[in-house]
Amino acid sequence: MIEQLLQVQTDSPEVAWSLIAPLVTLALGGILLITISSLIPSLKDNWFPAAFTAGTAAAAMVFVVDIWDRVSSTGPEFVVANSMSVDQYTVFVTGVICISVFLVSLLFHGYLQREGFSGPEWYVLILMSASGGVLLASAEDLIVTFIGLEILSIAVYVLASLHLRRGESQEAGFKYFLLGALSSALFLYGIALTYGATGSTRLTGISQSGLNERGLSPAVDSSMILVAMALLMVGFAFKVSAVPFHLWTPDVYEGSPSPVVAFMASAVKVAGFAGMLRVFFVGFGPYVEDWRPLLQGLAIASLVVGSLLAIAQSNVKRMLAYSSITHAGFILIGIYAAADPESRSNGGVLGAEAFLFYLLAYTIMVAGTFGVITLIGRRDDGRHSLDDYRGLFKSNPVLAVLMSALLFAQAGIPFTSGFLAKFRVIAAAAQSEAYVLAGVAMLASVVAAVLYLRIVVSMFLVDSPAEADEPDALPSGLSAFPLAGVTAVAIAVVATIALGVLPFGQEILTDAAEAMSAMR
Amino acid sequence: MYLNQFLIFSAILFCIGVYGVLVRKNGVLVLMSIELILNAVNINLVAFGTFHGQAAGQVFALFVIAVAAAEVGVGLAIVLLIYRNRRSIDVSEADLLKG
Amino acid sequence: MSEMLLPSLILIPLATAAIIAVVPSFFDKQPEKTEGFYLPFSGLIALAGSSLTGLVSFYVLAEFVVGEGGFQFTSTTPWVDSVGLSWAFGVDGISLFMVVLTGLLFPIALITTSAHHDSKAYHVWLMMLMAGSMGAFVALDLLVFFLFFEIVLVPMYFLIGGWGHGNRIYASMKFFLYTMAASALMLVGIVSLVWLTSGADGPSFDYRVLLEAVTADGFAAENETALTFIFLSFALAFSVKVPVFPIHTWLPDAHTEAPTSGSVILAGVLLKLGTYGFLRFGVGLFRDQIETFAPLFLTLGVIGIVYGAAVATMQKDLKRLVAYSSVAHMGFIVLGIFALNSQGLQGAVLQMVNHGLSTGALFILVGWVYERRHTRQIAELGGLQKSAPILAAVFTLVMLSSIGLPGLNGFAGEFLILLGTFQSGRWWAVVAVSGVILAALYMLWAYQRSFHGPADGENAEMKDLRPYELAGILPLLFLIVALGVYPRPVLDRIEPSVEALLQTTEERPERPGVEGIVAAAEEAEEHGDDDYGEDSHSEDSGDDSHAEDKDESHSDEDQSDEEPADDEASEKVDQ
Repeated sequence: MIEQLLQVQTDSPEVAWSLIAPLVTLALGGILLITISSLIPSLKDNWFPAAFTAGTAAAAMVFVVDIWDRVSSTGPEFVVANSMSVDQYTVFVTGVICISVFLVSLLFHGYLQREGFSGPEWYVLILMSASGGVLLASAEDLIVTFIGLEILSIAVYVLASLHLRRGESQEAGFKYFLLGALSSALFLYGIALTYGATGSTRLTGISQSGLNERGLSPAVDSSMILVAMALLMVGFAFKVSAVPFHLWTPDVYEGSPSPVVAFMASAVKVAGFAGMLRVFFVGFGPYVEDWRPLLQGLAIASLVVGSLLAIAQSNVKRMLAYSSITHAGFILIGIYAAADPESRSNGGVLGAEAFLFYLLAYTIMVAGTFGVITLIGRRDDGRHSLDDYRGLFKSNPVLAVLMSALLFAQAGIPFTSGFLAKFRVIAAAAQSEAYVLAGVAMLASVVAAVLYLRIVVSMFLVDSPAEADEPDALPSGLSAFPLAGVTAVAIAVVATIALGVLPFGQEILTDAAEAMSAMR
Repeated sequence: MYLNQFLIFSAILFCIGVYGVLVRKNGVLVLMSIELILNAVNINLVAFGTFHGQAAGQVFALFVIAVAAAEVGVGLAIVLLIYRNRRSIDVSEADLLKG
Repeated sequence: MSEMLLPSLILIPLATAAIIAVVPSFFDKQPEKTEGFYLPFSGLIALAGSSLTGLVSFYVLAEFVVGEGGFQFTSTTPWVDSVGLSWAFGVDGISLFMVVLTGLLFPIALITTSAHHDSKAYHVWLMMLMAGSMGAFVALDLLVFFLFFEIVLVPMYFLIGGWGHGNRIYASMKFFLYTMAASALMLVGIVSLVWLTSGADGPSFDYRVLLEAVTADGFAAENETALTFIFLSFALAFSVKVPVFPIHTWLPDAHTEAPTSGSVILAGVLLKLGTYGFLRFGVGLFRDQIETFAPLFLTLGVIGIVYGAAVATMQKDLKRLVAYSSVAHMGFIVLGIFALNSQGLQGAVLQMVNHGLSTGALFILVGWVYERRHTRQIAELGGLQKSAPILAAVFTLVMLSSIGLPGLNGFAGEFLILLGTFQSGRWWAVVAVSGVILAALYMLWAYQRSFHGPADGENAEMKDLRPYELAGILPLLFLIVALGVYPRPVLDRIEPSVEALLQTTEERPERPGVEGIVAAAEEAEEHGDDDYGEDSHSEDSGDDSHAEDKDESHSDEDQSDEEPADDEASEKVDQ
């Protein structure tokens, strides 16, 4: 009977495992981690989960490098019954997500020890969420896009509310969950309408279907497509916290555990942008003139609102939440330039380069920044007002210098990756003649500089309040902080400055950008 | 039955759902409203699938049901945590975070 | 070797900063009270590094080929090829003296001032500031220039905020945000310009490539509107940095609150970034636009001169007074640039150096007075001449240079500027001269109130200059006298570059073909200023006698110094 079973041939698709190895590594790593930790309980309280997670991310990175070489020679590969596409763009984004996972897992180690939480579930959720992000970035079918989005999000909902002692954490988780669930419901409705209008959930199918071949009637279909695109855009805008869908961001960033925010602001955003770009470039390429103005509106609103509202804040996490909204505006300009139908050849590539470089630079900067915040938060992760940073330079000069380097990078000061990222975006925008957009972006970055300067002023120029007798005063000296966390921050700073000064990686960027432009 | 009957029904469900999310104060009821939206989507998907004569719509609906279950599971867990901390699941009372 | 010369001007201070940062602050224990020369360990490293940089800059000066207008010591290293970025460096006669000035002022600032606390961080920022300002002056890539132009904000921000006086945080924020806001749009302007000129070879940010593209046939006429907007974005950035009149308000605050070294560098080096930008990129790339807007900037420059002088007269705080005098002096430089002729531009470059020397020295002196008396209020000072005769003597010399007394450096620059302005717009020059008179007024009055009269209380006990302080400021005094008596060597190096700058734009087909600027000036004389007819109104038609004056001065600076010198000197004595 077994022999008979072996004879049965099914019609299941071929799976090119080697091409989806990073995705599988991340997901399988999560499952393995929770299995091992359950079987050997003594492992879960020490360095093991963090090292395992960082190792998984590193292993995924190795696969990323390998696959990069393969797709460089073969061109885009479609895998798992053409539902996913592996090209240089996907691989690049996967690499960025892996970097984020690596840095965040280092941050978690000291954080969990300080807060007195045990257990590998934090790491497992990070790995799961990251695999969802990779799936989202490579999805060629709206069903897969949706599943990737949900895997990415659901894990983060849990992570946001996982600090059990803090009411704020649960509240943040619940807010994030409610708005996230609402946005994915809207997103789904958009998918349903798209399916109705085009008869396909496959992105290439959507872009290729002549509307009147299979749809209801041209007029109904085109209006359905428009509504669908708006709903899909709303769904992604929620994930990347673009104005006016940003309302959750400050609250969630403030309430969630700090290393989780580092992940949210980096990997989740990157995946959201990557998914948005693929869906709209591949699926809705023919309708670029319809959705491109939406991007412009979102970008301007994000830049203006994000930079202006940040000024009034006094909580550092809230400030950086608004700053991440401003960054989202910059990234949207990159997409806007990349989608320029006029300059399909060169200008699009420049915009795509700007977009990808911004994602990479931003991921590292923001992970490092929230890394410092994690270190400074003290027990219960609640000390994040500007006053808590007063006199940091006196007590912990190294930490203060690292933090200010990251903040200046976010402000776009030269010789950091932040400047080069902004410069690329501005250059791309100017090339597609979006001068107003470029001007608004630069002015917004000046306004946003106020908020970074306020933090720097607190750290360097204001003396710390007399808190020598305070029980949870910030320890002085670097050795008082967990080594892994400090290492993560240091890596982020070095990478931020190196990316801003040295020209390496340009070919990688160009290749990925060309792959991205080829999707249109 | 006409296709647009399903579509209109689904649109009504969708609107009720969005209204519920925006207006309801009770956390659990908000979750239910989100479920309504998801079900509106399912009706749409199945109807379109039948209209196009494909199985894709129905398959997608199955995926949505599965994901929705996971989502509600997480949502209820968070509501439960909040209830343990504060003895209330009123969304409007969640005011620890503001700025 | 010579390719590494200019990069080393940036790399040496940067390396010095890195060395200071890693040396433990244990070595930096500062004694409570110091008499005589004292620098903490970090200060010694900084002094060594900045002196080395200064020596390199002097070497550049010595090796500079006189009579060539182009860029020398050029080097180019590709950076981001896809958008045409490269680390391109080079100096010509205009930037050469900025580089030397920077190389000179930093070691002097280190000797003559000291940090009151956290000397390690202080010296790190100072060295980074040096690297940044050097970079801005030697950069030939437009974006690299912008990078350095922006990056100097950071160390300066920390210097003002960390080691400044009373209202330091407000002043440092204001300084940072004003300058950053103004230069934000310049980045958009830069990339727009690059795309506009991007040809078959792809985009390039190299100044020389851009210059070629901009001066190509018909380019300026085709893209007039775009170039105007781009020029405005540049002009805004430079105007705030200079600062030009209505947007100067950050400067008095920054100067007043900054530590002495910060003020010296701010006045001596950083403000020059604005005028240097106008000279290099404004005059070079946007000739049509700069001519169109010349009347505006001439007017603003003149307003700056008069306004700065008038407000300086009313100041009660000695340092604030010097700050406003800076506004007036920078107004002169703007005037010289927008005169748009050889004399004006040469005068502007010379005056940039002069202003760096004399205002730098003034800030050092005011800093010493403050250090001794713990006040800068003129009303509280008095009779310092009796207790500190050497200080008073040095102050007198520097003050006279700042006023523009003939025989000292300030005169040569201001004279050339006025000469140039007179040719292109007589009435601006006439009004500007009143600024010279006002300068004499506020300076002498301030001197009289604080140094003359009876010395009472603490004023009587004020310590005079220590030998090392005198030694530190001596190079500045020497140059103040030397450049006043014999500016020829400097002008010899400036002139070819200035003329090259004017010539590249003169060669355009739509302008009347003129051979060199001397010929242009002569022609202007004959035809009643055809070149600037549009901008400078009809008033300036008959300026023959003065033009002759100019020709003389052109051939021999020293002789011509004598004649108008007497006039102006007598005016000053009247005050």
